[in-house]
Amino acid sequence: MKGGSVARLDNMSGDNGADGPRRSRQAPLLVAPGDDLGDSGEYEAGHGVLAINGRLRALKQGRMNNRGGTVSIEPRRTAYVPRPSDLVVGYIEGCTSNIWFVDIGGPFNAILPMSLGPSKAEFGGIRKVLDIGDAILCRVQEVEENHSSVVTMKGMGLRAIRSGSVEEIDPHLLGRLIGRGGNNLRQLKEDTECRVVAGDNGRVWLDGDLAGIINARDRLNALLTEAKIDDFGGDV
Amino acid sequence: MSIPLVPNLLRAHLAELAAEDKRHDDRGQFQGRDVELEVNCLPRAEGSARVRMGDTIVLAGVKFQIMTPYPDRPNEGGLMCSAEVRPVAGRNWEAGPPSAESIELGRVVDRGIRESGCINTEDLCIIPGEKAWQVILDVFAVSDDGNLFDAFGLAAIAALRNATVPAERFEVGEDMPLDVSKTPIMCSYHKVGGRFVYDADKREELGGDERIHITLGDDDHVHSLQKGLKGIFTAAEFAEINEQARSRCAELRDMVNNALEGE
Amino acid sequence: MGGYGDVQCIDENGMRLDGRTKDEVRPVSIETGVVPVADGSARIRWGLNDCIAAVYGPMEAHPRKIQRQDRAVLDVRYNMAPFSTTDRIRPGFNRRSREISKVTAEALESVVLTELYPRSKIRVEIEIICAEAGTRCAGITAASVALAHAGIPMTDMVVSVASGKVHDIVVCDLNKEEDNYGEADLPMGILPNTGELVFLQMDGDLSPEQFQQAWDYNMEAAEVIHKEMVRALKGGDE
Repeated sequence: MKGGSVARLDNMSGDNGADGPRRSRQAPLLVAPGDDLGDSGEYEAGHGVLAINGRLRALKQGRMNNRGGTVSIEPRRTAYVPRPSDLVVGYIEGCTSNIWFVDIGGPFNAILPMSLGPSKAEFGGIRKVLDIGDAILCRVQEVEENHSSVVTMKGMGLRAIRSGSVEEIDPHLLGRLIGRGGNNLRQLKEDTECRVVAGDNGRVWLDGDLAGIINARDRLNALLTEAKIDDFGGDV
Repeated sequence: MSIPLVPNLLRAHLAELAAEDKRHDDRGQFQGRDVELEVNCLPRAEGSARVRMGDTIVLAGVKFQIMTPYPDRPNEGGLMCSAEVRPVAGRNWEAGPPSAESIELGRVVDRGIRESGCINTEDLCIIPGEKAWQVILDVFAVSDDGNLFDAFGLAAIAALRNATVPAERFEVGEDMPLDVSKTPIMCSYHKVGGRFVYDADKREELGGDERIHITLGDDDHVHSLQKGLKGIFTAAEFAEINEQARSRCAELRDMVNNALEGE
Repeated sequence: MGGYGDVQCIDENGMRLDGRTKDEVRPVSIETGVVPVADGSARIRWGLNDCIAAVYGPMEAHPRKIQRQDRAVLDVRYNMAPFSTTDRIRPGFNRRSREISKVTAEALESVVLTELYPRSKIRVEIEIICAEAGTRCAGITAASVALAHAGIPMTDMVVSVASGKVHDIVVCDLNKEEDNYGEADLPMGILPNTGELVFLQMDGDLSPEQFQQAWDYNMEAAEVIHKEMVRALKGGDE
């Protein structure tokens, strides 16, 4: 467990009320839900921040950013919620005669209508095209108000995944995996000679020879461990 | 327990790895995850243990009750073992009455301990025909990342071995350590990618087939066996894992002994 | 409540059985990530209380009849492990657990932005591993930290604590003997950033002055516990 001590006085949460958000150049400012982040007249509320009674309130735990007058929180963990045009790796979970149901890692399954699938199937032959348990690379086409979503396989590079391995990471760590301008991802591909496709839902498809996949997976795990330690001094 | 979707890609990948004598987390075929064992960690239990194997975490607690001996066995107390896998332990574990899976877990752990004869039920008698101790062993899953069986088995025997009979609280004499004469240990093997591996994690369980549980006593005597899930295995496969179980059970038994000595 | 027998919960110097003064909180420590397979988790040790909370979701709400078209439901389960108390607890249905689960869900629903996840459920599992007194408070507090750890958006965390009365003296954060033998118990769920309440129960007998004192003790205790919650979430200082 983490030190037996009770209640370290935290200088951050206490100060914020008076000073408003700090500039992000300094050490990252970690916040917890409920923390007061300053006056809502001065700053806009971005992701993970809500204006309540003239004050900005943190909704999540994470790192606070203040860019261009907008205060937002880069969460430490977050659930995947699909948005239109997201590239995702999905698993076929079921089907009717002309629709597949796809687990894309969000709260709800997405639907993939036959018309947006990889090819037309004859009546009764839908499972010959994509079977239950198959993995696909697809794109979120639309998300309805009640959070139902439709995915499509029409588009460049979208396909059934028939080889390699799919790893899962927390979606908010994708930025680290990809790196500035895609540098980290490019390096990973070069070093391991693998195809690496990072889905916005945190599922990462690795494809190549077995040694390459193992190597890429090790690098992915190392990155996750590093991310945890960097940000917060390690989880238990 | 709700049944999760098995990705075809995962099964294919595990088979590909197995063909090269590899596992997805770089372990050897018969290599277990790191094991942590802590005893006497639950203040309200008369004996307790916590086991961590990778991201699988379980607790075991021993409680005592006074029972009336069964008429046909007036000189014997009782031993009861129950396993609870509550929804805290994983996404697919559900609330409600115990599932078939958790009942199987409890019964397999129970058989290994009971049949080893490590607890002499006649020692549990207080007044013949009137009063006897009932030992209740509860194993509880905190986090299920695969192979709950072995974690439960290890926590169970460690908890029993550090248990104290609370005679003073029940006003029937002085507190004394529960007499546990043997240390039965369970080892589980899971068919993954066409071969048996030791200590499968959740991902291997998801993409694997049948499993076999072996409980061995101090003298390598077999005390319980269980084959679970759909699948076919050969006599040669069984002989190999039985051989492997002997050395692994001995290692884990030493671990239990060391943990108790540290107390 | 009532009937002390031989038990003296507080001595002539105002010292309690566990060595605390009447306005002191038991030692509290919180850690996160204790259920590695969950989306978020926390463990609180508070006196002898040891409580684990795990959060899964948001996920599709099943069965469909519990779905809400405009928001998520919190599916909270409070449970005491069989070995958590002196006398073993039989697993299974229990009216007390049901009630605590219900009031805990309602307290947490007051801060979680459930409207962001229509038709879903967020599972909150509270397991009491070792019980002293105030396990419902420990449960609500641990669940708040676990929800935050899972990245579920919430306007504040809930800190819960119970003060009460023994030998006609108001004491902060009841321990086991005080809970068993005392004359009153006032558990509250407090939003530390505003001082608002989302959970309140009481049983026993308190004069208006005593009630105010117990209320104030809870408010002060909440501040101490909240600091430890925040410390746990921000990763500690080691």
